[in-house]
Amino acid sequence: MSSIRVNPYPMPDLLAALEHLQQQQNTDTLELATGTKINQPSDDPAGAAQLVQINDSLGQTDSFQRSIASISDQFSTANSILSSVVSAVQRAISLGVEGANGTLSQDDRDNVAAEVSGIQSQLISLANTSYQGQYLFAGTTNLQPYIADPNSPSGVTYQGNTGTNQVTIGNGYQIQVNLPGSQLFNAPGSDMFQAVNDLITGLKNDSGIDTAVSELNAAYTYLTGQQVFYGNAINQVQDQQTYLSSAQVSLEQQQNTVAAADIAGTATQLASAQTAENATLSAIGRSPQSSLFDYLPL
Amino acid sequence: MSSLFGILSIATGALGADQGAMDATTNNVANANTPGYSRLRPVLTENVPIVVGSLTYGSGVSLEKLQSLRDPILQVRIDEETQQQGQLNAFVSAMQQAQTQFSGGSGDIGTQISNFFSSLSQLGPDPESLSLRQGVLTAAGNLANSFNNAANNLTQQRSSLDLGVTQAVEQINSLTGQIAQLNTHISELQGVNQDASAFLDQRDDLIGQLSSLIDVSTIQSDDGLTLTTSNGTALVAGGQSFSLSTQVNSSGFQDVYSSQGSDITTQLTSGQLAGLLAARDQNIPALLSNLDTLSSGLANALNTANQQGFDLSGNAGGNIFTPPPANGQGYAANMAIAITDPSLIAASSDGTPGSNGNVAVLSAVDSSPVAGGQTPTDYYSNVVFGVGNDVSNATAELNASQLILNQLQDQRGQISGVSLDEEAANMVQYQNAYNAAARVVTTIDEMLQTVINMGVTS
Repeated sequence: MSSIRVNPYPMPDLLAALEHLQQQQNTDTLELATGTKINQPSDDPAGAAQLVQINDSLGQTDSFQRSIASISDQFSTANSILSSVVSAVQRAISLGVEGANGTLSQDDRDNVAAEVSGIQSQLISLANTSYQGQYLFAGTTNLQPYIADPNSPSGVTYQGNTGTNQVTIGNGYQIQVNLPGSQLFNAPGSDMFQAVNDLITGLKNDSGIDTAVSELNAAYTYLTGQQVFYGNAINQVQDQQTYLSSAQVSLEQQQNTVAAADIAGTATQLASAQTAENATLSAIGRSPQSSLFDYLPL
Repeated sequence: MSSLFGILSIATGALGADQGAMDATTNNVANANTPGYSRLRPVLTENVPIVVGSLTYGSGVSLEKLQSLRDPILQVRIDEETQQQGQLNAFVSAMQQAQTQFSGGSGDIGTQISNFFSSLSQLGPDPESLSLRQGVLTAAGNLANSFNNAANNLTQQRSSLDLGVTQAVEQINSLTGQIAQLNTHISELQGVNQDASAFLDQRDDLIGQLSSLIDVSTIQSDDGLTLTTSNGTALVAGGQSFSLSTQVNSSGFQDVYSSQGSDITTQLTSGQLAGLLAARDQNIPALLSNLDTLSSGLANALNTANQQGFDLSGNAGGNIFTPPPANGQGYAANMAIAITDPSLIAASSDGTPGSNGNVAVLSAVDSSPVAGGQTPTDYYSNVVFGVGNDVSNATAELNASQLILNQLQDQRGQISGVSLDEEAANMVQYQNAYNAAARVVTTIDEMLQTVINMGVTS
């Protein structure tokens, strides 16, 4: 008899197999419960490191989108304010043309002047518009930008500064978010407030009305030109918003590729681990309960 | 010519031999479940025959010895693999705890870094808003806390590993003491040519336990067994054991010393002790130092950026975080925000309150090389990769080692394990032989009766 002796104790092997299967089931159950196959860095070290990067990029994309939401409201408000300013200036021009008509009496001109003064007040109030507590046209100060000032040649004093702000809406992509009042309404040669004040003075004194009207025309042309800034900015942030949305989708896809549990695969694996466990258990249960001793005659 | 008494002595000899064989079988059955037991096999030999003239008479059987079936080489392999496994086991369970600090939960460092820069970029469109400024400050506080938590948990884990080291050394000393005692018994018995297999089994079992704790080399010599660590530190020499001891080192952790008083902490290569020491002295400190580098790099860069701008009142900006020490050592555990007033965040680049020019400078830290020449997120993701890779490699090795060990123990079982079927068969065989020998005695007895009654008339 020279056959290889069999290990009479297969139990440790069976128990090790059982332990392995139970571990497998724990892992699978955790994956199914959390929906991710990376529950700790050792599950997939490279994937876990990639996840850190992807999550950071997702966080950035999200904050860019929030910034865009916040500044695009600001842009729309500024844009519509500027439209009102432009139409007010337009009205002032037609009043100026009316006042230049030689058939008008001084009383009539005074009435027109009063109407233009009304427009002046309206312009001051428009230029002082604030959005969420911030003056839109004060540069980077928090002071009310325009104060009516009879002693000033333009009828107003500008308290703001020439500062502009940039907001980041993409990696290395910054966009200017404000135009200071000094640039919009007091540009040399196209000074809107100066022109309006000149018109009022001109109407009252019946001299220089034509000059004032041509000043107003210059301011009108200039302002419509500046309106393009906001139009462009609105288009830019909309484009960027579209880009960021698609970037977000692709980042989320990447995140899924790296980390999402393969639900069907894991569930199948879990089921087969359970089957294997049952088989092992039944093998343990069926391992000989008796030995030759049981068959020896008493 | 053989005599009846001669035959009788052959039969009684057979009775004794079978009884001895039965003894081995009984002992095997009794120890079927004893860990480390090696089965006994009776060694029966034929007695020297008696030659009378041209005739040769057999003179029966005798039981030479009960042999214990063991494979010393296999035992050494098992011990080596047990050492490997002990080390990996201790290391994996330590590092698995460590990696939970980097598991990507909502409070982990990576998320807090993202959150901080995200809160900063929301300040861009509305730099005067106190609530947005408070948001930045809160995120900065959370960032500091996440570093504190990770560093404190890792430090605490080092302390519990340290406790593990002390306990392992105590266990080692108790085991080497017992082994030395067994060595004495074994050499006493072997000195008088007695079978020491019971003690040998016990000693193998204890060496197995010792192997799971420390790297052991076994040297078998004439004057008994010598155990040393792989670098040569004596543990047991014959009947004498050498205790290891621990002493607190300059960083407050226990170092392991040999009985001669030399520090062997860094020389241990396997066993649980080596795994504990590797995690305690190398991997976890490396993680802590990574966290220090990252936290101090971030804090320095953000402080510098804040100092370049102006706060809401138009004053030059100061520190956002408490300034880290020059080498950053220990900063992760102590990182804290230096300001509580949200208006002190220097968003303005020119002193006007509505300017957001410095927000871009602060945000740029996110993409600047602040730690080890890498951006904060890149650096952190490398740390995550490092710890994950350590655990995953060691786990793979552990699984492989477990398989090898199972295989080896299977082999040991093939040689030394008790099979009850085999013992039952042997028992039947020895019993039959015993019965037959007894029948021979009865027959001789009858023959003697016949001889004695010759010539007697009743």
